[in-house]
Amino acid sequence: MKKKRNFNLIAGGILAGGMLLFILAGVFFLPQDPETMNLELKFAGMSLSHPFGCDNFGRDIFSRVMVGARTTLIVALGTVGIGAGVGTLIGAFTGYFGGWLDEVMMRIIDALFAFPSILLALVVISLLDKGKYQVILALGIAFIPSFARVVRGQFLKCRELDYVKNARIMGCSSLRIIFVHILPNTLNVLVPTVMIGFNNAVLAEAGMSYLGLGVQPPDASLGRMLSEAQTHLFSQPLYAIFPGLAIILLVLGFSLLADGLEAK
Amino acid sequence: MKYVGKKLLTMLLTLLLVSFLVFLCFTVIPGDPASARLGTEATPEAVEMLREEMGLNRPFFVRYGDWLLSFVRGDFGESYDYEMTVGELLADKIPITLTMSLMSMLLIIVLSIPLGLYTARHEGSWADRGIYALNQVIMAVPAFFAGILITLFFGILLKMFTPGGYVSYRRDFGGFLAYMFFPSLSIALPKIAMTVKLLRSGLISEKKQDYARTAYSRGNHTGGVLYKHVLKNAMLPILTFLGMTLTDMIAGSIVVEQVFSIPGIGRVLLTAISHRDYPVVMAVIVCLAGVVILVNGLVDLLYQWIDPRIRLEAQP
Repeated sequence: MKKKRNFNLIAGGILAGGMLLFILAGVFFLPQDPETMNLELKFAGMSLSHPFGCDNFGRDIFSRVMVGARTTLIVALGTVGIGAGVGTLIGAFTGYFGGWLDEVMMRIIDALFAFPSILLALVVISLLDKGKYQVILALGIAFIPSFARVVRGQFLKCRELDYVKNARIMGCSSLRIIFVHILPNTLNVLVPTVMIGFNNAVLAEAGMSYLGLGVQPPDASLGRMLSEAQTHLFSQPLYAIFPGLAIILLVLGFSLLADGLEAK
Repeated sequence: MKYVGKKLLTMLLTLLLVSFLVFLCFTVIPGDPASARLGTEATPEAVEMLREEMGLNRPFFVRYGDWLLSFVRGDFGESYDYEMTVGELLADKIPITLTMSLMSMLLIIVLSIPLGLYTARHEGSWADRGIYALNQVIMAVPAFFAGILITLFFGILLKMFTPGGYVSYRRDFGGFLAYMFFPSLSIALPKIAMTVKLLRSGLISEKKQDYARTAYSRGNHTGGVLYKHVLKNAMLPILTFLGMTLTDMIAGSIVVEQVFSIPGIGRVLLTAISHRDYPVVMAVIVCLAGVVILVNGLVDLLYQWIDPRIRLEAQP
């Protein structure tokens, strides 16, 4: 069994690392300009200068996947940042202090948790209007409940442990106990949760942009590209395959990594 | 009975809280529905009159109570966009989305239980490892990309259905069901992978329990132990997961409806969002939330009916 666990960690590390490297490479070097249109190259097939072919405007799909994956990554990171940041704060304080505030917060969190996150994000989008930053905020808010629940559970468990009691007797302030003593001990649960959250964020961003509510043209994003590609599925199937493949590899890498870390 | 009553009360309270949050959100947004309806040319007097007529000048809680009461009575208000009530608009679409969700649920149950049993029985074999690897990949595929791939493969290459050729259920029910098969499959695929993975690990850990060993020692063969004893216990967590999945699928269908151009609830919601048709958005959101809360509550009740231990724990 031990060998298999390592396999998850290694394969996940390679995939996620490879995708991150691919995205990072796109920051410094793009084989073609992703926005330049060239109608002569409309739906061109795979070639050396255009390894993934060209789209309906003759734009290089390889470069657009690079840029699109970067946008998706930024949105996902922002989402997880908001969700994990605010969720951890809420979970830590309600779990540590308890009391009526905890009751009220948890009722609200439970009510929100019952909502599928895409639905919650749609509510926020319909209040805020569409766009890249709105999607980050919308998905971030939608992700708060799950993080808050996980962190609260951990804090409830740790609150009564001896090391926390010791720290309290030694006169540590509550803030210090929460952030310096308990929080590091929740990392083994928090890190896989963040990774799974990151995956869900990638999938959710792709979904939102696919629906035309997220990243707006001419910005490339993987979901956006898929929705454009779908209209040209007859004439250029490659256009749909590569952005989709990028999503799959990114998500697969991080989910294997999370599995591997959890098993360790 | 006490447990059931308490559960129902919690469900009702949650639904009330959700409806309040939704109403609050759509009340505090900038923009006045009355002036939006009349356009920018309208005189302040006309806007004021319409505000009075629409009841926008009343205090917040009066408006909320009024909205809630008419909602309970089945009056969801009137769409800004279409010249019809929200109720009429939705009544037509609900069967479409419902069919899709139920079909995917059926696919999940029919496909993942045999696969889960098979992989748990042949743990460590090549087939098990192959299915495990395939599962990991499928879980990473977003439902709408699965939909695009299915359109490409079954629709364009194999010509098993016409992409975008939705058939109305009023006209041809058989054709409607046939068209809904592939969309349902694309929603179900990632969930099937998750269910198989969950069921497999549940079965394997249950298989090692004492009661399974006792069943073996009484002379049962492997299949008998798996089907009659272990599966029952391993199904409990699956039930909760499927409940969550059903709610997830309702949300997922919003995106997949776009892929296959199906005019369901998701389409209505998206159009309403981009046209800022708030009565429709509010009605859809609260209805969907109601379904989600109802399903989760029913799963909880079912769970404690199947497993009496939970019933005992809940009693003081």
